[in-house]
Amino acid sequence: MRVLAALFAGLVFGIGLIVSGMADPAKVLGFLDLAGAWDPSLALVMAGAVAVGLVAFAVAGRRTTSLLGAEMQLPTARHVDRRLVVGSLLFGAGWGIAGFCPGPGLVALGMGEFKALVFVAAMLVGMGLFEWIEARRSAARVQLD
Amino acid sequence: MAIAFIAGLVGAPLLYALVTALPTPRIAVSEGALVAAGLLVGIGTRYGSGCTSGHGVCGISRLSPRSLAATAVFMAAGFATVYLIRHVLPDLRGVV
Repeated sequence: MRVLAALFAGLVFGIGLIVSGMADPAKVLGFLDLAGAWDPSLALVMAGAVAVGLVAFAVAGRRTTSLLGAEMQLPTARHVDRRLVVGSLLFGAGWGIAGFCPGPGLVALGMGEFKALVFVAAMLVGMGLFEWIEARRSAARVQLD
Repeated sequence: MAIAFIAGLVGAPLLYALVTALPTPRIAVSEGALVAAGLLVGIGTRYGSGCTSGHGVCGISRLSPRSLAATAVFMAAGFATVYLIRHVLPDLRGVV
């Protein structure tokens, strides 16, 4: 049942990304192009999503389990650190180059776009690279101890 | 669970196409740029613990200061990158 719920959530999210235009990189780049023919419409998509999310997370925050009985796992960290800022800078730069972020990249992959496959493959390599760097760092830390 | 969610995300266009004509995503950038973008997005979202949906929608909905900061940073980086690519680099090419 939980697997079905996750599948359903992915479908709803994906269709939302298609309907809103988030899965169209040209539209995303139009939103990021403040100095060009700026298309602010995607800001409304985010505002709309947050409006729904505010209600959903307010309800979720008061519960200890999900509706399907799973343990509620909401993030607890609230401080801003260097990792958050540097990571977001890198992500924003990549987003600005192609107009793809992870969700829309996967949706475009589902549309059978070869270029989306190139993006998603590189994204997975990037995530793997992160894991590799982290593993090396923690190994170095163990040696120091 | 995550696999099922991702399957839903990738499968969403199929469901969409059953109802109405699927829009074609306009991907103008080259394969090389997509590789660079993918690497940056992959590393950046892991290092910064989130993306447009993780921080931008879910985090802000939870009123997380971390997510608000992350969203401000990646939006600014996105604006700056597009500005450089569309309005600074083409002029530089003209000069050089």
